[in-house]
Amino acid sequence: MRYSLTEQQQARRAEFREFVASHVEPRAADWERDQVVSRQVVQLMGERGYLGSNLPCEYGGQGWDVVTFGLLNEAFGRASSSLTSYLTVQSMVAMALLKWGTREQKSAWLPRLATGEIIASFAMTEPDTGSDLNAFKTEFKRRAGGDTLILNGNKRWITCAQVSEIFLIFGKMDNQSVACLVPRETPGFTVEPIRELMGFRAAGLAKLSFVNVELPPSNIVGKPGFGVSHVMPVGMQYGRISTACSALGIMRGCFEESVAYAARRKIGDRSLGEIGLMRRLIARMGTDVEAGNFLCYNACRAEDERAPESFETALAAKYFTSQASVRAASDAVQLRGAAGCHESSPTARYYGSAKIMEIIEGTTQVHEDLLGRMYMGQAGVLGQ
Amino acid sequence: MTSESAKRDGDVKGTIKKFLLRSINLPDVEDDEDLFESGMVNSLFAVQLTTFIEKTFGIEIGADDLDIKNFRSLNAATHFVKSKSAATAS
Repeated sequence: MRYSLTEQQQARRAEFREFVASHVEPRAADWERDQVVSRQVVQLMGERGYLGSNLPCEYGGQGWDVVTFGLLNEAFGRASSSLTSYLTVQSMVAMALLKWGTREQKSAWLPRLATGEIIASFAMTEPDTGSDLNAFKTEFKRRAGGDTLILNGNKRWITCAQVSEIFLIFGKMDNQSVACLVPRETPGFTVEPIRELMGFRAAGLAKLSFVNVELPPSNIVGKPGFGVSHVMPVGMQYGRISTACSALGIMRGCFEESVAYAARRKIGDRSLGEIGLMRRLIARMGTDVEAGNFLCYNACRAEDERAPESFETALAAKYFTSQASVRAASDAVQLRGAAGCHESSPTARYYGSAKIMEIIEGTTQVHEDLLGRMYMGQAGVLGQ
Repeated sequence: MTSESAKRDGDVKGTIKKFLLRSINLPDVEDDEDLFESGMVNSLFAVQLTTFIEKTFGIEIGADDLDIKNFRSLNAATHFVKSKSAATAS
């Protein structure tokens, strides 16, 4: 993103890119192969304030604006979607807690999230429910007397769950949606790693299982009945912005790698960039980067301004860049040929990760449904 | 519209109604029409309404305010904004 950046935002973008060049890019391929990111780098991200970038200073965060948060995610997304997922889920849980948590919940968890002392996970998806948020089978019940909640159920595909110490779990209670904090060490709660993904391999995905897990009612975030309608969208808003900007980072990586490769690679006496069919691929990538830039900046700006259209703009940005990153990664591999298919090439990593961007934080189809409804809702005020 | 001008105009209901009509594909909405029961709103509408009220009227909505009675209809949201504004001012 580079639209109307302040000097401070430009300086931070330069800092993020330098950090990524020094600490992320040289090791990203190894992390994908080993299916785990370096704890030292995550710790360093915490020390730099990246894991609490948009939390207020009173909770130990940086208090940075959302545009800066977008720049951070784009810079990391350029090198490692897996590591960027730490920024994504940490902000989802932190911002949902900041908005709807009690004073006690905020003081207990936000300072530790802000520094990266602990990592958090945002757990929605279940084995049998997919994108249908009203079909949760994960269930909280109040024990007689009401002083304890009993949690039973399962979650799947939960990002960073292999390392997270606190989980924001969505389920139902008395047929109402509910969001509840569940610490990792709670008896009856188990985490089983999911490995061998096509991309995003070091993002620490896991299955969660809850068997008669006992929790205090004070762990509920917001109120029963408002988990899906109010708590979840606040987290998802940051998840979508993070993912949109991370996908933009993939697109920029594909574009820059492709231009550099096309300029130096010779076919006979011509460079790849002199061949019309190759230039077509470059043109499509470059134009998509420009469009993605605008959409991501617009989404971040709208969230900074808390504008009514902020949810719509975040949906549009994530919808566009996640799909465009798949196109860009496919074209980048195509341009490199066989060399682009090998794990030593960044384009192979981009290709595996880009498709995941279309799945996480709401599939492309969920975005089409939501955006279609929103745009149709404006039928009565078109042109105003 | 800024929070001050929205309050000063005394047109809380009109301001919220304008937002509702921009968000849902209906020519009009009745004052007591149940927005959620009618199925006329999308799944993000509830939190969009919360954000709109906070920004437009300069009030903070917290977990204690999460009661569907506060947001169920145009009249309910208007009453909530006026009550919350008065409580904040005092």
